[in-house]
Amino acid sequence: MSIRILKDLSFRIIGYAIIIFIMIILIYIVGGIVFNGVLSIRPSMLIENGDTTSGGLLNAIVGTWMLVGTGILFSVPLGVFAAVFIVEYGWMRYNQIIRIFTDILTSIPSIVLGLFGYLFLVIQLGFGYSLLAGGITLGIMMLPYILRITEISLSEVPRSVREAAISLGARRTDLIFRVMLPYAKNGIITSTILAMSIGAGETAQLLYTAGWNNSLPVSFIKSQVAYLTYVIWAGINQPSLYSHQLAFASAFILIVSVFSLIFISKFIKR
Amino acid sequence: MPRREEKIFKFFTFLISLAPVVLVVLLFSFLLYYSIPSIRYNGLRFFTTYYWYPGQVYLPPVNVNGILVPYGSSFGILLFLFGTLITSLLALLIAFPISIIISLIVNLYINDKLRKIIISLIELFAAIPSVVYGLWGIVYLEPILSNYIEPLMSKYLGFIPFFSGPIYSGAGILASSLVLSLMILPIMTSVLNGSISNFSTPVKEGAIALGATRYEVGRMIILRGLKIQIFGASMLGLGRALGETMAVLMVSGSAFNIMPSNIYSPINTMAAALATLLDSAFMDSTGMNLYALSELGLVLVLITLIASIIGRLIVGIGIIRGYTRGEEL
Repeated sequence: MSIRILKDLSFRIIGYAIIIFIMIILIYIVGGIVFNGVLSIRPSMLIENGDTTSGGLLNAIVGTWMLVGTGILFSVPLGVFAAVFIVEYGWMRYNQIIRIFTDILTSIPSIVLGLFGYLFLVIQLGFGYSLLAGGITLGIMMLPYILRITEISLSEVPRSVREAAISLGARRTDLIFRVMLPYAKNGIITSTILAMSIGAGETAQLLYTAGWNNSLPVSFIKSQVAYLTYVIWAGINQPSLYSHQLAFASAFILIVSVFSLIFISKFIKR
Repeated sequence: MPRREEKIFKFFTFLISLAPVVLVVLLFSFLLYYSIPSIRYNGLRFFTTYYWYPGQVYLPPVNVNGILVPYGSSFGILLFLFGTLITSLLALLIAFPISIIISLIVNLYINDKLRKIIISLIELFAAIPSVVYGLWGIVYLEPILSNYIEPLMSKYLGFIPFFSGPIYSGAGILASSLVLSLMILPIMTSVLNGSISNFSTPVKEGAIALGATRYEVGRMIILRGLKIQIFGASMLGLGRALGETMAVLMVSGSAFNIMPSNIYSPINTMAAALATLLDSAFMDSTGMNLYALSELGLVLVLITLIASIIGRLIVGIGIIRGYTRGEEL
């Protein structure tokens, strides 16, 4: 065998080995969390409120989805209508500028977003640690995903469909609401699910915007909210076994929800 | 709808489309506004010293050059800056060859179906929440590192600078870099996979027809042809690593005021320090801690943006997380 073929073969073997190794690590991470989570989780954790050292996770589970929901309520309308303007009315230069700013928004470290949420929403607007402050901070992070994916789906509406609508005498707004948005519906839903899966896993934005609450928040502002990722972070740093179990149970719930959301989003036809 | 309302609708969506611009401008103005007292007070010392102490918040504040600051406070981010750069660069060093090899292998040797499966499995790494990486790092990675891998590395690789010396709890530069490398792997692999699969097929097949092995096509043609894209993908990965907070916070060992002696030493990064210190900053009645942390945040966001924007300008703007435009969405 010539040296060249030997090199080709060894590259192939090394490459396969690396792929297998990376897959093993993926299984190790997910499997390790699932394994510990299954061992730690108790039915009582799902029906009781808790404080990361005792009790359950109900407040954190509900709080997480309340925060994610607030984020979605903030980001989906903004993202969808911004995408409508970009695709329908925008000119190239303007769209590029918006895209660069959207990219800047995606690149901002989560803790800096959290600091901004603290300075602007918690202090300046006086929301306090609250659902609104935490949710909007999450929403700011979700916005680029919603905007970008909606924009892609809107621009994938076939020319013929648009032209058919216009030739039938549809106005711009009819075209948008009756043709474009229904056509891009699945893209918008995919982006929403994706944004939910990302939002549910965030911690750093929420540390100084949502706070922590041993029960459920009572109002949108000035009432702190519990969330699952905080239980993971705080729980694993506590000395007691039960705190660790709460952390693992939270990680398990989180990873199952995030993966199922991604799984669902892959099965939506675009 | 009458014409007038059409115009109103257009104007309404126009205002909304400005949201990203407004948010970015707001973010920078708030960070800058809150940084000004710290920029004035700390000056260049902020970047040249590594001693960070919030000060005695229970003692009355002292007057330094007309500015009230907590007694004994000192704000130097050199250690955090160094930690951010070293962990991110090491992570890039680890993820760089892995992502290149994986994307070459799946494009050169593996059929389309399996390639899609492998790439979407690697993109799953991007879906795992950062705090879960941290949890995994504490529970699994740190014990393995401090009990098995680090002693071996110290023994046999000790001749390399900073590889010898004492082993700590496992939390440190090495653990942070390893976790970060896993976190930046998906975005790098997915960008590289995209550019390699878009690489001109006639050139690839021509080379194979001329008798080149697939390895040679990869190394001599694809890698050479895609130098710029590879650089861009690395910058995107670096941008993600620089700003990563929770995972690093949990496996870095949170070092304060002590420079690391080797790659097993505890470290702290700007993002992790910001998350840790913000809590105690609220106790400071003079506000200087909050101002200094805002400046820290400003520096962090600027560094991250430089890397990300360079990467995005090269591989194309509009890339979100590990998900490239198109098939994998």
